[in-house]
Amino acid sequence: MKFSIPVPASGSALVRSRGFWLSVLLLALLLAFGVIVARSGPLAPTRVTVAKVGEGAITPALFGIGTIEARRAYLIGPTTAGRVLRVLVDVGDRVKAGQLLAEMDPVDLDERITALDASLARAGNAVTASEAQRRDAEARNQLAGINARRYKDLGDKKFVSSSAVEAKLQEEISARAGLNAAEANLSAARQDTLRLGAERDGLRQQRGNVRLLAPSDGVITARDAEPGSTVVAGQAVLRLIEPASLWVKTRFDQGRSAGLALGLPAEIALRSDPARALSGKVVRVDLLSDSVTEERIAQIAFDTLPEGISLGELAEVTLKLPTIEAKFLVPNASIKRRGEQVGVWVHRSGAAHFVVVKPGKASLGGQVEIVDGLGEGDQVIVHSEREITADSRLKVVESLAGAGK
Amino acid sequence: MQTFGIKIEGLSKRYGTGDTAVDALKDVNMTVAPGEVVGLIGPSGSGKSTLLKCLGAVIEPTAGRMTLGDEVIFDDAWRISDLRALRRDKIGFVFQAPYLIPFLDVTDNVALLPMLAGQPNAASRSRALELLTALDVAHRAKAQPSELSGGEQQRVAIARALVNQPPVILADEPTAPLDSERALSVMRILNRMAQQYRTAVIVVTHDEKIMPTFKRIYHIRDGRTHEEVGEGKSL
Amino acid sequence: MINLAGRDILHSWGKFAFTGIGLGLLIGATLTMAGVYRGMVDDAKVLLTNSGADLWVVQKDTLGPYAESSSLHDDVYRSILGMPGVAQAANVTYLTMQVRRGDNDVRAMVVGFEPGQPGEPGYLTAGRQITRSHYEAVADVKTGFQLGERIKIRRHEYTVVGLTRRMVSSGGDPMVFIPLKDAQEAQFLKDNDAILNERARTAANPGLNRPGVPGLLEAIQASQASNRNVNAVLVRVRDGETPDEVAAGIRRWKHLQAYTRAQMEEILVAKLIATSAKQIGMFLVILAIVSAAIVAFIIYTMTLGKIREIAVLKLIGTRSRTIAGMILQQALGLGLIGFVVGKIAATFWAPAFPKYVLLETGDALRGFIAVMLICALASTLAIRAALRVDPATAIGG
Repeated sequence: MKFSIPVPASGSALVRSRGFWLSVLLLALLLAFGVIVARSGPLAPTRVTVAKVGEGAITPALFGIGTIEARRAYLIGPTTAGRVLRVLVDVGDRVKAGQLLAEMDPVDLDERITALDASLARAGNAVTASEAQRRDAEARNQLAGINARRYKDLGDKKFVSSSAVEAKLQEEISARAGLNAAEANLSAARQDTLRLGAERDGLRQQRGNVRLLAPSDGVITARDAEPGSTVVAGQAVLRLIEPASLWVKTRFDQGRSAGLALGLPAEIALRSDPARALSGKVVRVDLLSDSVTEERIAQIAFDTLPEGISLGELAEVTLKLPTIEAKFLVPNASIKRRGEQVGVWVHRSGAAHFVVVKPGKASLGGQVEIVDGLGEGDQVIVHSEREITADSRLKVVESLAGAGK
Repeated sequence: MQTFGIKIEGLSKRYGTGDTAVDALKDVNMTVAPGEVVGLIGPSGSGKSTLLKCLGAVIEPTAGRMTLGDEVIFDDAWRISDLRALRRDKIGFVFQAPYLIPFLDVTDNVALLPMLAGQPNAASRSRALELLTALDVAHRAKAQPSELSGGEQQRVAIARALVNQPPVILADEPTAPLDSERALSVMRILNRMAQQYRTAVIVVTHDEKIMPTFKRIYHIRDGRTHEEVGEGKSL
Repeated sequence: MINLAGRDILHSWGKFAFTGIGLGLLIGATLTMAGVYRGMVDDAKVLLTNSGADLWVVQKDTLGPYAESSSLHDDVYRSILGMPGVAQAANVTYLTMQVRRGDNDVRAMVVGFEPGQPGEPGYLTAGRQITRSHYEAVADVKTGFQLGERIKIRRHEYTVVGLTRRMVSSGGDPMVFIPLKDAQEAQFLKDNDAILNERARTAANPGLNRPGVPGLLEAIQASQASNRNVNAVLVRVRDGETPDEVAAGIRRWKHLQAYTRAQMEEILVAKLIATSAKQIGMFLVILAIVSAAIVAFIIYTMTLGKIREIAVLKLIGTRSRTIAGMILQQALGLGLIGFVVGKIAATFWAPAFPKYVLLETGDALRGFIAVMLICALASTLAIRAALRVDPATAIGG
């Protein structure tokens, strides 16, 4: 291969031109080689971004996922096992308190009530008879008493024999006993009447239970048994909720639920319509947490109940805690754990120093308050290409987005 | 600089043994004085290449004696241990084709041998430049061999052969590819160089154009030589 | 002294450079191959380092959680926390699956972790750590995800809030970090059709669906739809304690296995990567042989092209060793050019590989020495040919 440069007259210039340029090329190649080795690969310095410790207000927030439930939900069902006779409403129907919703089959209840009615009537007649007997016994008692006094008088005057007096005295005693008996009979007949009356009332009540009434205004959410099916006591035939009582049962991670309190304002985003921002507040913090899933449970009520929501729908709930003024704020990406210590890498005089800090509250946007450990003007290392150690060589850049592998 | 040229007595070369043996050279005698240019003429297969190879110390003769200057280099066996050094220092070669090293420029081609021998580069190159000037190709000193014409290349080859001031130059058909004007020019140069540096020159040739220039000619046929007086036409 | 090799190279520098580049690409391929192996080992090491753990507690008699699947109850970590020497113990889940973004999906290892505990990403290259308990993710840049993008894992959508680098599984798949509970659900929960099928099967079972016990069926179906398992518990040991001792203590629990960092490395490197390492090793040997053959061929051809000049040189008195030295130097020069070109090429194209390619300087040095040795050996063939040349051939006829 020939160079196309003209052959110069002087001797050394030719040597310089070809050999010289080729050496320059080789040197450039080696230089590129060296640059590549220094810039990429394990010898290159680690690129990092830094941020000055900030100052400002952060609004810590709690985040949890909840399901829409009804505060008041009723299971409408019979108190004894039976067969469903008829169901008068269906899912979605609005009902009023006291409205008849369904009826169980009364079976023989009506007949038993009729029988008891008859027994009650008979008991009433028995009372009348006992009363008459008592009047009769009273009259006899009176007569026997009068006779006994007369004969006693006559006996005293020796007009009649003493045996006749004793006989009349004995008649008096008998008559009195007869009166007591009649009175007792009367009480018994009266109590019988009471008993039968009570039994009949009881059956009537049972008959009443066979009618399932709405305990309050609401909407039917489930129709679990059809006419003709057998249900046991406690099984639901219908389910009813008060739609105004819908709230969000929200679960918060126990570890991140500090500050959960009654009355906190809430932002609710429904799974079905995440763009619509709904507001609410915490109306109850449950005393009982879930120890298996390690979550606390709070109930969030809507400020205005939205339309078209359904039970069991998922919602994302954010509770805003009171804003705090933080003296030192760092991005949470700068907080690192080394062994048991929590701290940040501070960029000081070109090297990284690990400073143990005590973090305070954090916002959902990733800003963390540092309670102890940092001073004003400190620069913390936020993002890095790889793990940082005390003797990493660092190179501060604007951003690392698009860093290679 | 040597005082005597080259002297060959009774040189024989036998290839092979027994029935298949071939005697390429039979009892060759030859003398060349310093500064003299003799011709060695013979048909192909006559053994002239063999003689040249013996003179050039690349093959070993079977018998005879070779004297270079005042040094006996062969007497039925090599008397010199380092033949390669002998060739480098005492013998110059000019070939049919210039055979310049293509990746060295003209100056370095000529200066190659002294530089390889360890002489300082600057001195070697200036010596080369001297020779190139004497041969009238100094203006091509920095060129690559491929840029030169055939005649220029041949002159550079001659300069290369002369760079170590050898007592003997062996030229193998140096004018074969050249036209008569150039051929005579080469012979002129050879004669001039021979006289200037007191070198004995043996020119193997069958080129009719230059035969008149030799004062003495050795004819070789079937391995034997006999001397003849040439025309010695002046150049 | 004149350097014949240098002059020859200078004279036909184009041919030399061209040959050098070709050889360089071959050497670059060889270096890259070695880099692939190193990258695999580094993937394994980086996986272990990034988890931030000193011990891996997994199901007994498994090599998990990376080499084999392992399943533990998620409350096991509480008892481990109570053991002496344990500073932190946290649940993690690992599942390699497709993560959807728009129309295409990316193969990733989904990691479920607890914030502030071993298993969380140790450093970020952009964005922030996860602050919400659900539906946020931190992804490795190798997934191609950007900050703020919505990605879909199983049935939920997650917002990418942070990016990391070099967080990969031992197989080279990039990691996506999501909250532990979401990961447990993702690992376990099937698609809707399967869930409905499962519910129907349970309802058809008379032993589970008893009319006399209201609420029983619902309770059983709810328990079927929840996942209380994790793949491993990562343990950080207290400063001053040895992981081996703590691991021994944990192993005494009958149903658990605990591995230290050294043991995990051995499992990953020796067992997982062993076959690939052998493949790569064999390929490297083949490449070395091919390189040697090519260098030998090139140098031999170049020498043959100079046979006449070599004969002339020998005739006019050049030492044999000068000629041999010229050939050797040319071979070494070719090797040098090839190596430089190869190293530059490898450095340029290594990041384009789908898996991590680690070009170590040690490997480069070893490669350089190997290239020089191979070139020297390969040149012996040409040197032998050159030395055999008879200087008499320069004299024709």
